[in-house]
Amino acid sequence: MADVLLFIAAVLIFFGIMLGVLRLILGRTVVDRVVAIDMLTIISISVIALYADVSGRFIYLDVALVYGVLSFLSVLAVARYLERGL
Amino acid sequence: MLELLVFLLCSSILASGILAVCLNNLMAAMVSAGLSSLFAAVCYVLLAAPDVAMAEASIGSGLSTVIFLYAIRRTSNAKE
Repeated sequence: MADVLLFIAAVLIFFGIMLGVLRLILGRTVVDRVVAIDMLTIISISVIALYADVSGRFIYLDVALVYGVLSFLSVLAVARYLERGL
Repeated sequence: MLELLVFLLCSSILASGILAVCLNNLMAAMVSAGLSSLFAAVCYVLLAAPDVAMAEASIGSGLSTVIFLYAIRRTSNAKE
């Protein structure tokens, strides 16, 4: 049962990365690309969490935690730049 | 299943690197370079090096984007 759920999660992550990269390549404006990279950051956090469960090494969850704390920073900086701030 | 995911991540790194070189808009090129660094950090985790991945995620993806933004802001014209 758990293997089936992990396989479904991996398939969903696969299609999520593919669609996100497609949006990044095709994206017309900068805002499209920024939203795509924000989505890909969250997907990559879930990749790390999935691999921590598959490999059985739960030290990798710390990496996912640091990733989640720090990853919003670049998107925040770009958003402030687009509003003529920074 | 995991090999396919690693292949997709590596091809995404390649695509975003090419995109960062070829795009004309500076902001879009910087965002693409950030994606390349982001997926490189995930590949470091999959290669069993979590400390390197932590440094790459904090410096490469977070700090360098902010520094690039500051540099673009200081060197571009007021009307862009």
